[in-house]
Amino acid sequence: MLPTILKGRKIVEGYCKAEALVSTKPISFLGGVDPADGKIIEKNHDLCGECVKGKVFCFPHGHGSTVGSYVLYSLAKKALAPKAIINQTADPVVVVGAIISNIPMTDQIDIKQIRSGDLLEVDADKGLVKILKRKRG
Amino acid sequence: MYLTKEEERIYNGECGWANQVCMKILVRLGELFNATKLIPISSAHVSGVSYKTLGDAPTEFLEALAYANTKAYVKATLNPQSFDREYLCKKLPQNLFRKQLRVMEYFEKMDFVPSLTCTPYYLEKPEKGAHLAWAESSAVVYANSVIGAWTNREGGPSALAAAVIGKTPDYGMHKAENRQPKVLVKLGTRLRSDVEFGALGIFLGKVLKDEIPFIQGLQKASADNLKQLGAAMASTGMVNMFYHCNDTLKSGIEKISIEAKDILRTVENLTTTSKQKPNLVFVGCPHCSLAEIKLIASLIHHRKVKEETECWICTSRHIQEKAKKYVTKIEQTGARVITDTCVVVTWTDKLGIKTIMTNSAKTAHYAPTMNKAETVLVSLKESLDAAFRG
Repeated sequence: MLPTILKGRKIVEGYCKAEALVSTKPISFLGGVDPADGKIIEKNHDLCGECVKGKVFCFPHGHGSTVGSYVLYSLAKKALAPKAIINQTADPVVVVGAIISNIPMTDQIDIKQIRSGDLLEVDADKGLVKILKRKRG
Repeated sequence: MYLTKEEERIYNGECGWANQVCMKILVRLGELFNATKLIPISSAHVSGVSYKTLGDAPTEFLEALAYANTKAYVKATLNPQSFDREYLCKKLPQNLFRKQLRVMEYFEKMDFVPSLTCTPYYLEKPEKGAHLAWAESSAVVYANSVIGAWTNREGGPSALAAAVIGKTPDYGMHKAENRQPKVLVKLGTRLRSDVEFGALGIFLGKVLKDEIPFIQGLQKASADNLKQLGAAMASTGMVNMFYHCNDTLKSGIEKISIEAKDILRTVENLTTTSKQKPNLVFVGCPHCSLAEIKLIASLIHHRKVKEETECWICTSRHIQEKAKKYVTKIEQTGARVITDTCVVVTWTDKLGIKTIMTNSAKTAHYAPTMNKAETVLVSLKESLDAAFRG
């Protein structure tokens, strides 16, 4: 079977292959992600307790304080950042965070097609996300 | 987005990492909002200075920028930090103070002006029609509505990037077509005190979507009244401008009416306790103007602050120095004129402050979450009466 290919828009260039971590909820990096270990700590968030490290982090868009951009930078410095970010609609906080931290980022992707655990290939230069392998079950 | 040859060189990294990162921030944000070019700015104002709101995350980024020899290309002022240099720096934990000093060290290394105020327009008033890249929402609304300068509501990092490059993407409030009033606000009541202007702002912020209002009935409002209105409007909404006088209106725009009961209810809702004995009476959000300092000095002349009550008047160092005579008078009463910071960006909870009385609707809106405090919102005169004997 051919892999599913989703086409979006380049925000920050770069390429990676990694497992997806998918949320249906917007996230605030300030107060929502612990800069010390990369775990999501926003209460009532569907990914509360999960770690963003090394994942292709897929969520609709960011919200909250612009200090959130710096939280992404801090995660990247400690090698705790996601390998790539996929958004439905990019917002300034996450875009700036991805730029200063050099995290490949694409938006205008239908993230509902992706499930946590799927193996993804992200070619942010072309705005392409390939679902290489579906998570079983 | 169209880039000049020089902008392109910076974008491609020929002028170093720091400039490249800053240029990328501006270009990507510009693309996000369909800007076609960058435009020069006359000044930048950067928020995200207080260690209380920043935490540790940005320090490393600021450090990296500062040690890459980055400099502000245009005049770039800074928002308040978490301490003043006379009073709070002695009362709060020293490790927090040291962390704040580190943040400031990096900003100063990059030639940012340590103005430490949310009212940079008192240091130097921008020209009418000047393009700016200001963060700090209250200053953004004031610049657009009262001064007539043009600025979007920047975030901390985008204002920083604009300061370094000296440009901002040309979208939003930088375009004349986006600065037209879209809603007519009819005031069915005369606003009687500073606190009612703030309440109007809170109410408008909540009901306006992204439409700029023309507010009828503000002809007699002072610049300080409009400052309260704008600060409050920005704290509950996303609109960055209002019109208040002498503007021609297109007919047929949407209208909303605001009555005395709407203002009254808004003030009541921002008061969370019936306690009339606050631990702290706070005036100076946004930072006091020279006129406000003079007014306060005259209202409290020869009176004394009650025991077990603190009274803080927050302003910029710039205004404090200009108003020395009045500051001395105020401090003789036991009240404190505090510069460089304010209630919202410092740790009042660590000082045991549980109830804050203020004339600022913006502070009353933020203090329950930012300061874990109960709030009482009253006029300037009433709040000073609560702090002083006699």
